[in-house]
This record gives sequence, C-alpha cells and structure tokens, in this order.
Amino acid sequence: MPEAVSLLYQFGTNAAFLLLSALGLIVILGMMNIINLAHGEFMMLGAYAATASVQRGVPFPLAVLIAAVAVGLFGVVIERLIVRRFYGRELGALVVTWGISLILGQGALLLFGPFMPPIAIPGGAVALGDYSFSVYWLFLIVLCGVLLAALAFVYRATRFGLQARAAMQNARMARALGIRVDRIYMATFALGAALAGLSGALLAPTTSIAPFMGQQFVAPAFITVVVGGGASVIGGALGSSGLLSLVQTPVAFLFGTFSGTLALLLTALVVIRLLPGGVSSIGRYFTRRSLAAAR
Amino acid sequence: MSVAAASRAAPRGSGLARLLNGPHDIGRTPGAWAVLAAGLASFLVYPHWATAFQATNVAYYLLNIPMALGLSLLWGYGGVLSFGQVAFFAVAGYVYGIVAGNLPDAPWGTWLGVVSGLGASAALAAVFGYFIFYARVAAWIVPILTLVLALLLSTFLGLTAGSMWTVGQVPLGGYNGMTGIPALQVGTLTFQDYAFYYLTVGVVVLCYIGLRAWVNAHRGQVLMAIREDTLRTELLGYDVRREQLRAFVLAATLAGVSGLLYVQWGNYITPSVTGLQQAALPVVWVAVGGRDSLLAVAICTFLLNQLSYVLSSAGNQYALVIIGALLVAVMMFAPEGIVVTLARRTWRRRR
Repeated sequence: MPEAVSLLYQFGTNAAFLLLSALGLIVILGMMNIINLAHGEFMMLGAYAATASVQRGVPFPLAVLIAAVAVGLFGVVIERLIVRRFYGRELGALVVTWGISLILGQGALLLFGPFMPPIAIPGGAVALGDYSFSVYWLFLIVLCGVLLAALAFVYRATRFGLQARAAMQNARMARALGIRVDRIYMATFALGAALAGLSGALLAPTTSIAPFMGQQFVAPAFITVVVGGGASVIGGALGSSGLLSLVQTPVAFLFGTFSGTLALLLTALVVIRLLPGGVSSIGRYFTRRSLAAAR
Repeated sequence: MSVAAASRAAPRGSGLARLLNGPHDIGRTPGAWAVLAAGLASFLVYPHWATAFQATNVAYYLLNIPMALGLSLLWGYGGVLSFGQVAFFAVAGYVYGIVAGNLPDAPWGTWLGVVSGLGASAALAAVFGYFIFYARVAAWIVPILTLVLALLLSTFLGLTAGSMWTVGQVPLGGYNGMTGIPALQVGTLTFQDYAFYYLTVGVVVLCYIGLRAWVNAHRGQVLMAIREDTLRTELLGYDVRREQLRAFVLAATLAGVSGLLYVQWGNYITPSVTGLQQAALPVVWVAVGGRDSLLAVAICTFLLNQLSYVLSSAGNQYALVIIGALLVAVMMFAPEGIVVTLARRTWRRRR
C-alpha cells in the first residue's frame, strides 16, 4: 500500500511540475497562437519577486501573490511594447520573445548577481510506512487542480471568458460584434505572464534561484505544450501533463532524471506523429463526432 | 520575394552561371559581382599581411557561415524555423573527435571522421525531421522541438564525465568537453594556421555558391513555393513533407560542416556549444542579416561573430544583452534584416 501511494505521489509531483511549468504558456498559445519563449524567464522573475518579498519579511503565500501580480504587470508592458506587433506572425513572435529572454536572463545576472538566497520549503513532511511525503508538494498537486478549475470557470462562466473564446474562434467576427479583441489579447498575455510568475514563485522553494534558472523549465514546459496542443487550454494542460508524467515517472525512477526528460521528448515525437494537434485535439474530434451524430 | 516575381525575371546565360544569377539572392548586377569578387580576393590575399594567429581568428569569424546559410535556407527560403541547428553542429564535432581521435595513425582517419561526422548530423536530422514533417505539425512546433533537442543534447554531453564515457580511447569529458581533437591531414599537410584559414575560406565559398545555385534551381523554387502556399504546392503534385525534410537534412549537414571547422579551429569542443545561449546565435545572425538572402546572412554572420568575439574577449558582460536587444530591435523595426534593408535602399537610390 505505501509503495502504491509513493508511486502515485511521484506521478502527482511530476505532473504538477509539468503543469505549473507550462500553464502560462498554454494559456497564451491557446488564445493567441503565440509561443512566449521568454516564459522561463518570466518564471525566473516570479521566483525573484517572491524571494525578494520573503527576504523583506512578507509571508510566503502573500509573496507568491505579489510575484504573480508583478510578473502579470510586466507581461502587460511587454505585450504593449513588443508582442502586439507580432500577432498573426507566429515565427516572428517566437524569435522576438527569444530576444527578450536573452535580455532578461543576462539582465537579471547583471542586476541581481549570480545567486539569490533560497527559500525554505514551507510545511513539513508526512510519513506513511517507510515513505515520507512533502506537504508542500501535496499542496501544489491540489493547487494545480484548483488552478485548472479556476481557469475553466473563467473561460466558461465569465463575460471575459466568453469574449476570449469568441476572439479565439474568429477574431474578425468578434471584432465586428464589438468585442475589443486587442484588450482581450492584452489581458490574456497578462494572465499567461501572471501564471508564469505564480508558477515560478511556487516552484522557487523547490529549486535553486539563479538568473538562468528559467532554462530548466524550457524543455518540460515546451514539451508539455507540444503534446497538449492549442485546441483546448484545460484539456491540453491536463491530458498532456498526465500522459507525460505517466511516461516520465517510471523512466526517471529506473534510469535517472535525464532519461526521464529524454523520454518526454521521445513521447512528444510519437504523440505529434499520431496526433499532430496534440492530445487536446482528441476532445475536438469527439465533439465533432457527437455534433455530426446530432445532425 | 514572391514566386511570381521569380518567374517574371528571365534568367540569362546557362548552367551554373544562370543559376547563380537567378533572382533569389541580393547582388545580381555586374557591379555587385565585382564587389563580391574583390571581397573574395581580399580574403585570399589577407594572410600575406596577417600573422597565423590573426588569420586563425578571421577563420573563426567565418566558420559559422555554413550553419547560418543552412538556417537561412530553412527559415528564409523554406519558412521552417529551427532553433536547434547547434545540435547538429555539436554532433558533427563530437563524432569527428571520436572517430579521428581513435585513428591517430591512419592517414585517412581524419577524413573518415569528416564523413562520419556529417553522416551523423544528417542521420539525426533525418530521423528527427521524419517525426516532425511527416506529422505535418503547426509551424511553431518545429522550433520548439529542435530547441528541446539541442538542450537535451547539451545536458547529456554534460553528464558524460568519467571513464565510463570513453569511446575507444577518446573520453567525452563531461562539462569540460573533448580535448586534443586531431586536425585534418592530407599526407604531410596538417590544416592548421594558414592552411586552416584557406580551408575555411574555401569551404565557405563552396557552401555559398552551392546554396545560391540550389535556391535558384528547381528544388529551391519548390521550397519557396511551399513557404508561399503549402496547399497549392501540394496540389501541384509535390510531396511537401519530403521537400521540407530534404531542406532540414541539408541545413543540418551544413551545421555539421561548421561543427567540423570549429573543432579544427580549437581542437576541442564542449557541451556549451549546444546550450541555450549558443542556440540563439544562428537565429540572431540570420534574422539580423536578412533571412531570405544568403549573401546578407553570410556577411552578417561574419560581422556579428567578430562583434561577439571582441565583446567577450574584452570581458564584456553585456554581450548577451546587446545581442538580445539587437534581435528584438531588428524584428521590430527592420524585419527584413539590416543588410537586406540597406542593400535594397542603396539599390533603389541608384536607380
């Protein structure tokens, strides 16, 4: 029994890590068809903001919120100044956000130095049999579910969500109906940036905080996005992180961390070969079939 | 440049000359050819006034040009962006080091290294590209997955410290990299110093001429047609997946050429050549020069390599910030690329 729980815990932490790394990226991709290559650096900024707040005596949960808001605002600035010129030019947007990521990484090194003091992991550990589980990671796993539910609520039940989905399906038609698509894009980019900042702050206690820490999120986050696809934000994020974690957990357990990451890449190659639109396109496939059946 | 414009411009002459003077690169006037010839001549006579050290430095600025040209072909002409060209660069360098290092006494050992290095790059690109292009993925997936490939390769090579990672008698060396890689040899001639300089110039000129002919030949035009309208090209009977895969493998092989020249230059290679910061550089060279002109990319690669060498050897910590800002500024204000914009402006003024 404890073995099974331990395996489930491993699976959960891996999936939570993938989901947290990729969530902001998936939100921006799904809505705007833009890949933000500075995503890892946005997470780094979130971690820095949280660390700086904690150092000034702010309690950790508040520091996480501060980080999310700060990075979200930073996202607005970047969107207004640079990214909005690249709507509809996905490759151009990729390249320009890469330029931003180079500036942010090296800029953080120059401004803040090579090291930041680490944040202690909040919460202790619970023991079950011979295994002990970090309370903080259990909390993160639950939080992932809460975040996804909140996103689903925003998209399904709010006016913003309705307008955002309209802009995503047909931007010109949405504009003709009086929706300010430009505002929607700005808000979406800010939301994606804020989620990146939030994830960076949440993962800060679990890793070392350095200017180039964003790089460690690049491979897992982008693979999760590729496997998820852009068709549905929630379905893509959940399906992709679950599937990838299912592959990564046993491989990493048997052959080490690097093999786990390599398995992620190989899984991504196989998945796109079979499902070029990612796992989120499965949902779309079934929706279409049920629509056709209804007719 | 559109396909329609290409078909209007009637090519003159025949054979290679006709292909070279085709419409798909800047510099087609007699004056431009004269400037090019003068430029090549000055590179050829340069060692007369330079020390071996200076000549080797200039070769270092030149040796990345094949990789940049390959990316220009892929991105500018083919509309397929790759962030992972450095992975193929590193594979060729490492494989050359392993093969040549294990055959120190064989006269053909280094040449077998060249063949296997390029073969390894091309094979990796073929397998990787098969999954990507035959899946017909969205355009943003190719750069993302190639970037992940480069990063994973860098991580893997960093892990190869210790004696268990010795291939034959060559240790891979982990983060410190592979050292003492033998230089190319023909009989008693070892390609070092001036000989290495001339080898680099020769390889770069060959790659440029070959690619310029290629983009003006039928295959190149098909590639551009795919960039302009994938569906229409497919309906005209071309296998889009195969053409894209072909260009991808060609670009990877060219990155391998640069990797081989790189290990000739320093006789060492480290995992950082395929790390995130290095992976950004080919994209910067190509974007800043002007991705749909091979000549502009070649010129820009030479100049920017010189710039980063000067910046980093002066211990300047702002090198990456400057490179990143340059990339952002070019993408925003001169999306055609600086060299191409300048060239087209000068040309218009003369008219």
